[in-house]
Amino acid sequence: MDERDAAVVAKARDGDREAFRALVERHSRYVFSLAHRMTGNAQDAEDVVQEAWLKAHKQLSRFEARADFRTWLHRITVNCSIDLIRGRRHREDAHDPADLEQGPLSERGAETQPTPERMAASTQISDRVNQALGLLTALERAAFTLRHVEGMSIDEVGEKLGMKTSATKHSIFRAVKKMRQALEPFVPSREHAGSQLMGRESK
Amino acid sequence: MNNHLSEEELILHYYGETDRADEARLDGHLAECGECQSAKAQLQRVLALVETAAPVAAPPGFERDAWARLEPRLPSPRSERRWTRAIFWFPQWALAGGVAALVLMAFVAGRISGSDPAGTNPAAPGLAQAGGNSDVLHTAVSDHLDRTQIMLTELVNSGVNQADAFAGEQARAGDLVAANRLIRQSAAQSGDEGIADVLEDLERVLQEIANAPADVTSNELSDLKARITAQDLLFRVRVIASEMRNRTRNDREAGDRSPLRPSMS
Repeated sequence: MDERDAAVVAKARDGDREAFRALVERHSRYVFSLAHRMTGNAQDAEDVVQEAWLKAHKQLSRFEARADFRTWLHRITVNCSIDLIRGRRHREDAHDPADLEQGPLSERGAETQPTPERMAASTQISDRVNQALGLLTALERAAFTLRHVEGMSIDEVGEKLGMKTSATKHSIFRAVKKMRQALEPFVPSREHAGSQLMGRESK
Repeated sequence: MNNHLSEEELILHYYGETDRADEARLDGHLAECGECQSAKAQLQRVLALVETAAPVAAPPGFERDAWARLEPRLPSPRSERRWTRAIFWFPQWALAGGVAALVLMAFVAGRISGSDPAGTNPAAPGLAQAGGNSDVLHTAVSDHLDRTQIMLTELVNSGVNQADAFAGEQARAGDLVAANRLIRQSAAQSGDEGIADVLEDLERVLQEIANAPADVTSNELSDLKARITAQDLLFRVRVIASEMRNRTRNDREAGDRSPLRPSMS
């Protein structure tokens, strides 16, 4: 664990409010980014940040000094994000994949289509990735993020999200397809592999 | 080549989640089909972009706003102090403190009166020399080891999806860590390497259980169980616990032949 964290966590565990405040101020930006990646919008991410810190405060006495605080906080944040997504699941309206062409990416118009210069700009790629993630439904996004970024198995993702394995797989398939369609212009095509991929039949 | 892989098959293959029954077919086809190799490489390049993307940053001043919103929702420091005081007055914590004091006393006594030079009691030479308090001491340490064994046994035998059961084991592991640490430190100080080694492995696992998120994933739980099994931890704890019980019996049989306090001379 970061030595600065170790000392502050020890104080916070003893009930030092200022030490806990220091942890909140040190790690909240990280927690926000992680929560945003999971939930896809700033308001939900802010709510997750609050819930994650409340949970961390409640469980701090169980945190052992040898463990890494940020890793521990990461897990709490992911779980709080999942709780929020599962709680809102019934309100989600699934997007029709056909809507992809009418989403925010295509609305930007021809003048914003990638050029070599733009492709070189990592900020634009980041923007594009985040916009592409924005095309996913909440469940697709959560399933994709847990599988692709957090490295959970499909079975574990299903368990976390309360979905059957087959439904989890289909959420991930839909998410990957949407991501591929949105991001393929940024990837140098080799031997028209992209079009070959797009033409493949589902089984 | 006919029968190209579907996009779904390529996605599962990319994540290493191909069904076992399909593995040979997919691997065989990919090894020979240039089109599918290109398609998979393209998929890899696209998905690699996701990893290179910078996360969305919080707005300026977010951390201060987060604290301002959070602070009123935290329990007041006064109620936290009351809660802490209540925990430390709870008998089980008093027992843990008592165990620690007794163990420290016993190991110190063991060191002063000399450990077993012939190594006839490799499991616990310091404890064997603990003196007149050893009956109580051995009983307390045995109790700690028994409770640890029960907790580990229940954990190892639990199903991978029993989140509630795991939360219960976590709380018990958290309770056991402090007592275990004091016993281990005392054992190490008195040269009881055999006990200290077992307790060190045990402490690591107890900490891992106590620190795991309550909704630990099934894979993590399986890994934890595998580590407990691979280290023969249950067996090694059982051996020490058995040794302690033997010593308790021996102490009782020796009865009043033992002095109440170790000699300081």
